[in-house]
Amino acid sequence: MTGKRHELIGNLRLLWKEPLLLLSIIAIFYFLFVFVISPIFLVFKTSLTIDRQFDLSNYQAVFSKRYYYQPFINSMLLGVLTASTGTLLGFVFAYAITRTPIPFKRFFRITATFPIISPPFVVALAAILLFGRSGGLTPFVEKIIGEYSIYGLGGLVLVETIAYGPIAFLVLHGVLQAIDPALEEAAMDLGASRARVFSTVTLPLAIPGIASAWLLVFIESMADFGNPMVISGNFRVLSVQAFLQITGMYDLSRGSTLAILLLFPTLTAFFLQKYWVSRKSYVTVTGKPTSATIKQLEWYIKLPVYASCILFAGVVFLFYGMVIYGSFQKLWGVDSTLTLRNYIEMYEVGKDYIFDSLALSTLATPITGILGVFIAFLIIRKKFAGRGVMEFVSMLTFAVPGTVVGIGYILAFNQRSALFPFILTGTAWIIVLLLIFRNMPVGIRAGIAALHQIDPSIEEASTDLGATSGRTFRKITLPMIAPAFFSGLAFSFVKSMTAISAIIFVVSGRWNLITVAILGFVDNSQYAQAAAMSLLLIIIVLIALGIIQMFVNRIGKGARTTSIVE
Amino acid sequence: MKRAMFFVMIVAVFVLGTFTAGQAAGKVLHIYEAFDTEEAKLYIEAFEKETGIDVEFVRMSSGEVLARVQAEAANPQASVWHAGSNTSHINASIKGLLAPYKPKTDFELTDQLHAKDWTWTGFYSGAIGFVTNTKFLKEKGVNAPTSWDDLLNPAFSKNVAMAYPYTSGTAYTTYATRIQMLDLDKALDWWEKFDKQSIHQYTKSGTGCIPMVGLGEVAVGISFSHDILAKGVNKGYPVVMTFPKEGTGYEIGGLSLIKGGPEPELGKKFIDWCFTERAQNLFQKYNRLPVNPKAKVAEGSVTLDQVKLIKYDHLWAGKNKGELIKAWRDRIGK
Repeated sequence: MTGKRHELIGNLRLLWKEPLLLLSIIAIFYFLFVFVISPIFLVFKTSLTIDRQFDLSNYQAVFSKRYYYQPFINSMLLGVLTASTGTLLGFVFAYAITRTPIPFKRFFRITATFPIISPPFVVALAAILLFGRSGGLTPFVEKIIGEYSIYGLGGLVLVETIAYGPIAFLVLHGVLQAIDPALEEAAMDLGASRARVFSTVTLPLAIPGIASAWLLVFIESMADFGNPMVISGNFRVLSVQAFLQITGMYDLSRGSTLAILLLFPTLTAFFLQKYWVSRKSYVTVTGKPTSATIKQLEWYIKLPVYASCILFAGVVFLFYGMVIYGSFQKLWGVDSTLTLRNYIEMYEVGKDYIFDSLALSTLATPITGILGVFIAFLIIRKKFAGRGVMEFVSMLTFAVPGTVVGIGYILAFNQRSALFPFILTGTAWIIVLLLIFRNMPVGIRAGIAALHQIDPSIEEASTDLGATSGRTFRKITLPMIAPAFFSGLAFSFVKSMTAISAIIFVVSGRWNLITVAILGFVDNSQYAQAAAMSLLLIIIVLIALGIIQMFVNRIGKGARTTSIVE
Repeated sequence: MKRAMFFVMIVAVFVLGTFTAGQAAGKVLHIYEAFDTEEAKLYIEAFEKETGIDVEFVRMSSGEVLARVQAEAANPQASVWHAGSNTSHINASIKGLLAPYKPKTDFELTDQLHAKDWTWTGFYSGAIGFVTNTKFLKEKGVNAPTSWDDLLNPAFSKNVAMAYPYTSGTAYTTYATRIQMLDLDKALDWWEKFDKQSIHQYTKSGTGCIPMVGLGEVAVGISFSHDILAKGVNKGYPVVMTFPKEGTGYEIGGLSLIKGGPEPELGKKFIDWCFTERAQNLFQKYNRLPVNPKAKVAEGSVTLDQVKLIKYDHLWAGKNKGELIKAWRDRIGK
């Protein structure tokens, strides 16, 4: 106790000695409050008010009307199923890449992560064109499984597994890589069978990672808006219903209520992931992962694992191939004459959107990255009151569905308030700020992961030699966590370029984004132009990732980003 | 590392520069747009060319526009709400979100085409019709529906699509048409049957079902005739358009000035322009029916005197929307 108090006083003294650090901590708290907490709070408040009066009737309606609670049940069902299939897929892939001598590892890794950089709707669109009632593969599939419908729960699970399985893969790849293969080898050497090693060593060690992946995919699936919009048929989900309630019924307060309903399961999952699962982390290494010595595996392990990987890679190629093919078709689904017209039309309608998307994402990305790394640095390396709160709040946006954030931003920045005396709606700033605070958790997580790997004694040596916190951060910490910083950059650029569910509420005449244009095309059922623009977006993102990787190669002297597409 | 930071700064400065440059430019008219982007550009570019006034617009569905205008009531960001079924304009007018303006036109606007207090005006019209996939008809050997009850034909079982009446002006017009033809209870009885037997799915936007029919995802869709022509027939989809013989409802496309918008004078100029012969002639490309009697009607378009129309009461439909939608959702449960 005295030790702890002593430490606290020491820290306070440190803060006192370094007013800049204190100032930046206060500034960050202020920003987090204005741009994260207050918008969400306003949505909550709106759900409890009708005509400025406190009113619980929204909640009464939501729990008594089938058309409100059915979508909630549906969303939960979808989330659970997608999380399970996505995690299974991610695990098989991660296992194949870290534990088997599967050939073309790089190829499989890229394929498995590719859906992450693609814009919303694309997978669902491809699914309809392949498996819809008059889809390209429908007669073939019908011969095997009989009549079916891609619209609804089944189709959604398929599409979201492809879209979000890669997230599970990224998590599990990291986890399996961090489990020292020496443990498994030791068990093998002691005479355990492969199955026994898997079930008593590998799997238990990976359990926290699996749970973590499951919860992350669950959150993504619950909040997904683009795919259900296209392919849910009569299977109505909460995210879309909240959106329709606001845009279709002009009912901000009940829409906010549905959004809050959506918030509870995602927040619960977030809490579980953060405070329960991550505590149970059994990661066994302290430094960089040792390179695994992969032994020959029995065929009955290799066969299903390889087959799943090849099958999934095939599906990814099939889906995106369909999008490429479709983008050149004269009238998607009817007249398959090849033409460049879609690209011309797409460019004419969308060139401003493309420029705006690029400009705003380019502005938001470095700020997101720097802020993310800086917050990670504060959380991991500095001790101050409210550190836990800072970490929690800055990671919170990840668990909040985009629809909630979008509504919150209009409610919060449409008028001056004592906290923030500027009106932001209609400006580029609201978009940039939304992108920054929504994508920040990615940068923070990358920063935290990197900082955990660096011994604080290196930084302590610097401060002991008389450098200030700021100087140490710039000269010592930053260069060492550069790879994490850049992977945070890469990821937040991708997320900025492909954001839709929150951004659609804050775009304006002067500033518009490419995904909004794609949504417009999809809404208008101009699938070919939507496909053409989606492809353009994918290409832009790939080029940007290439540029970022180039930077890393030059600056980090060969250090690699833990990039999402390598 | 230093160089990286330097690069980031340069980019930031560059982007900041373009921001401020953009905002310093001359006076601009801001519009919330309910036409699709491609179509909107046709009118807005023509307006810009003719008047020299710069326009910036955001494309949203009319429901989204209303939600946006309502949320921004304290600080409106746009001056004009262009297009969208007049039902939602009526709704906005009741909520006090619109400013009255009587456009200067060279013809008389009939009572049907404007609010009593001139908070909105109607600048095009179109009737509700059915769109059917011709390949499907050939395969099953049935005829395209020509009455409302044809939609209950078992041949179209689970094969009809339309929008949710609460998200789309098109679908709401359809629903309000059925009520005005039958009365609320009977209309809901009919709809319950229709929903159980025939509906494959509801879409968000009113035109969403047209390409679905074109692609053969469903057999029949319900939408506005101008949309069926522009987005189905004229695109080359194998579809045919029919109308119910008992009579059908129709929409009036709304146009309004947003209360407290930043550029009321420019907004008024835009509204005036929308009623000119030249502006109304542009509707031909999208098969909309102009309200200016001097404007040309696109070939193949179905004018309102060629279809049997019911006496559709727009004001009633707009005023009672909340209750009618609630009744629909309570009964149908979707």
